[in-house]
Amino acid sequence: METEPRIVAFLCNWCSYAGADLAGMSRISYPPNVRAIRVMCSGRVDPAFVINAFEMGADGVLVTGCHPGDCHYVSGNLKAEKRMKNTGKILRLLGLGSERLRLEWVSTSEGAKFAQIVTDFTEDLRKMEPNPLKGRVNTEAPVNTEEVISKAFKKTNVQYCLECGKCSGSCPISRVNDAYSPRRTVERFLLGFGGKVLPTADLWTCLTCYTCTERCPSDVLYPEFVRACRRVASQEVMEELCAHRGIPMALSRIMTNLSIKQKRLDWFPEGAETSQKGDLLYFTGCLPYFDVVFEDFDLDLLKIPQSVVKILNRVGIKPVILGNEKCCGHDLLWTGDMENFEKLAKMNVAEIKETTATKVVTTCPECYRTLKKDYTELLGNPDFEVLHISELLSELINKGELKYDAKLPMKVVYQDACRLGRHMGVYEPPRRIIADIPGIELVEMGRNRENAVCCGVNAWLSCNKYSKAVQIDRLKEAKATGADLLVTACPKCQIHWKCVTSEKLWVDPEEVTMKMRDLSVLVAEAMHLV
Amino acid sequence: MKVKAMEAKNSVLVVGGGIAGMQASLDLANRGFKVYLLENSPSIGGRMVQLDKTFPTMDCSICIVAPKMIECLRNPNVTLLTYSELKEVSGSAGNFTVRVLKKPRFINEERCTGCGVCGQHCPVEVANEFDMGVGIRKAIYIPLPQAVPLKYTIDRENCLECGLCQKMCRAEAVEFDQQPQTLSLNVGTIIVATGFELFDARTRSEYGYGRHQNVLISLEFERMLSASGPTGGHIVRLSDGRIPREIAFIQCVGSRSLKGGVPFCSSACCMYATKESILIKEHEPKCEVYIFYNDLKVFGKGFQDFVTRAKDEWGVKYIRALPGEVTEDPKTGDLTLWYEDTTENVTKSIKVDLVVLCPALIPRAASKELAGILGLELDEYGFFKSKDPQFIPFDTNVPGIFICGYCQGPKDIPESVAQASGAAARAAEVIALMASKEAQ
Repeated sequence: METEPRIVAFLCNWCSYAGADLAGMSRISYPPNVRAIRVMCSGRVDPAFVINAFEMGADGVLVTGCHPGDCHYVSGNLKAEKRMKNTGKILRLLGLGSERLRLEWVSTSEGAKFAQIVTDFTEDLRKMEPNPLKGRVNTEAPVNTEEVISKAFKKTNVQYCLECGKCSGSCPISRVNDAYSPRRTVERFLLGFGGKVLPTADLWTCLTCYTCTERCPSDVLYPEFVRACRRVASQEVMEELCAHRGIPMALSRIMTNLSIKQKRLDWFPEGAETSQKGDLLYFTGCLPYFDVVFEDFDLDLLKIPQSVVKILNRVGIKPVILGNEKCCGHDLLWTGDMENFEKLAKMNVAEIKETTATKVVTTCPECYRTLKKDYTELLGNPDFEVLHISELLSELINKGELKYDAKLPMKVVYQDACRLGRHMGVYEPPRRIIADIPGIELVEMGRNRENAVCCGVNAWLSCNKYSKAVQIDRLKEAKATGADLLVTACPKCQIHWKCVTSEKLWVDPEEVTMKMRDLSVLVAEAMHLV
Repeated sequence: MKVKAMEAKNSVLVVGGGIAGMQASLDLANRGFKVYLLENSPSIGGRMVQLDKTFPTMDCSICIVAPKMIECLRNPNVTLLTYSELKEVSGSAGNFTVRVLKKPRFINEERCTGCGVCGQHCPVEVANEFDMGVGIRKAIYIPLPQAVPLKYTIDRENCLECGLCQKMCRAEAVEFDQQPQTLSLNVGTIIVATGFELFDARTRSEYGYGRHQNVLISLEFERMLSASGPTGGHIVRLSDGRIPREIAFIQCVGSRSLKGGVPFCSSACCMYATKESILIKEHEPKCEVYIFYNDLKVFGKGFQDFVTRAKDEWGVKYIRALPGEVTEDPKTGDLTLWYEDTTENVTKSIKVDLVVLCPALIPRAASKELAGILGLELDEYGFFKSKDPQFIPFDTNVPGIFICGYCQGPKDIPESVAQASGAAARAAEVIALMASKEAQ
């Protein structure tokens, strides 16, 4: 194994790259550990570049740009500063350490400074452990296309398709993009043109929201079919379709590494009580990461786990929380990365079993489905029961153990998350919890429960003008109810909606901007806990 | 030639007073057998009397079925046991003992003349089952004007017991203290013709039936089309009373579904939707009619011509697609359907004023209980099982008990009638065989 640290350096074309050149021309010597990549501006360096560099084994990443005020593009360097600070937080969460990422200002004339920075950074990295991800090769076994597709045919009933088009009439995407039709996609597979569909966008367009499956008279599990085929298709086209340059998937992949020791519990509220072993485990999901990645949205996502712990403590439960909990693997599963999904599933199940928990509670509907359904499908029946927080809380209300003590006089509308609703059939518990809060009037959108509309994006795929049209349509519907607050149990619904409303839109922002709240946070508010 | 009724045990019990039950009863009665015609509701007639017209001949339904109802009433060999339930059956072919519960009408049937004064004065108005809840009836009522027998019934669940009807009835027929009666009958054979019920379209919530006022099911719409129906034959929207300009039919609501419905085809919907479309065009020529279908099942004699006529002469538009969803504009009550035209491969929407759903016609849920009483087997869908569906579909696993009509499997009116006559023939055969054995 290589012992010398390896540094990937992104150098701004206008200053630092020339600075590095000057160091060379001036014959200043510095360690040869750095691999320089010229970029047009430090602002071009996406956090994904940094994360990918670490995933591929870099021990350190150096980003250098012009001094503040000198940016060739006015403010690119300032953006880089903000981004790298944010990226550092991700590295900290992953347990890699933010000190592995360095941002420095180096001007054209500062050749010596560049050399010094590289020397110091190399020295510092030598003192650290090598990147635990080093030397890791993703060994994806070759996939037999025909076998995968024919297996998917059988498992998902596609051969029973009646060609009635009810799926396309139900699909939120088909409505805004008439080039897309689940029926025609299935038809092409059935006619044997599957191989030709794989490289097209069709498979990646599906929101996997289950609306078509809910209504299909032939019980064709279209989203599951799509998922199975994505396994093959991912080998060709996935990256370009992934929003956020694939950061969420990269994080999930990194977590499959056994030597990763995350530092993900910083959100812990003061005075909160947890236990190492116990009956009930709270699976927090990717919230600590999302809180950083989507910092700009100001969604305060960490309030969700904080609320949950406080609520549980109030009713006398000290939940077990895993310090090195892995991503549930949902996004990998739905983008066709079965290898890494399986690794995550096995690791999570093993860790949960170690705590002797018999109940696992999740706040994220995606974790809920994945743990409850997909883990069971993959690994057999686990020794624990998976509950969504809404199920647990409504049970506590039924038993009289959870009581609200605040009055929240407002009109609330609830959005069914696809994974919670159509995928898993949990429609009533969240409503029960909301409706019980004193002062709250729960109203419904015209399309609710099994007819609810997806928030527009799934698994960070195909976030495009069509998803935005779906999102705007749904937000308009929510706004039209006259509700003061839009409540959902899925943090991703909030992220996607906040994302669309922070853009310049073709509609009056008044028509679509709403206050949003996570279900658990609302409950905590009604208990005077946050 | 007048044939004298044979002795009681050479008689037949027909369960179900719809068109199949009536036909079987009349066939047997005309052969000289004594028939007990058992009907659960207050009047015989069944589903057919609810229809405005029949396809493909466009006959007035009540006009052709009322004579049969009257015949059942008048035929001395037919005893009507309306508002009654079958409770127990014992014995075997040629000698069944059956116990029938006669529910109290709270009206003395001998005295009631059917004048209707009581109904005029009754202060309670409830949804009329005969009109599929579109119209209203009183708590003292006859289900339809042509009810047979023309005897009123008090619906005690909704009755206020104000006693107004009792005061107004000049025949003194109202008897609030009437008790259920149990009858014991001795019959040679039994024919079951209990028909169908409708799939609950509410469970396909994407179409909004029960939520959107202007989404109807076909039988409700049929009542609306009927001159004797709640709107006197005028097609209106229930939300605002406006005459619809565009009406869409959606086929296969719950039928041909491997999930959330029944897997079989109801075999009548494509045709009755076509019939109703033509009726719309007759009533409101300016109204556009769309039929959303998946496969047009027009297999009978004259059926294809009927559909062709609907298309070419009446301009009914057939669209090969099952819509995914019906959404309502809460302000106007207008409905939007989203569908993929599968002949054009385009997903689009259409705005209409009224949507008519064609729900699956399904075996009655009560068939299970009845099958238990009779010892009959049901098939996987809940239809009564034929012993040999190819050659003698009327025979069941119990000798002496026969089935006909929709309760045996999906079929239309002519087929039900034909099967009824077939079942009657088989029943007569069994009794005759028994009689000849006894004679020896």
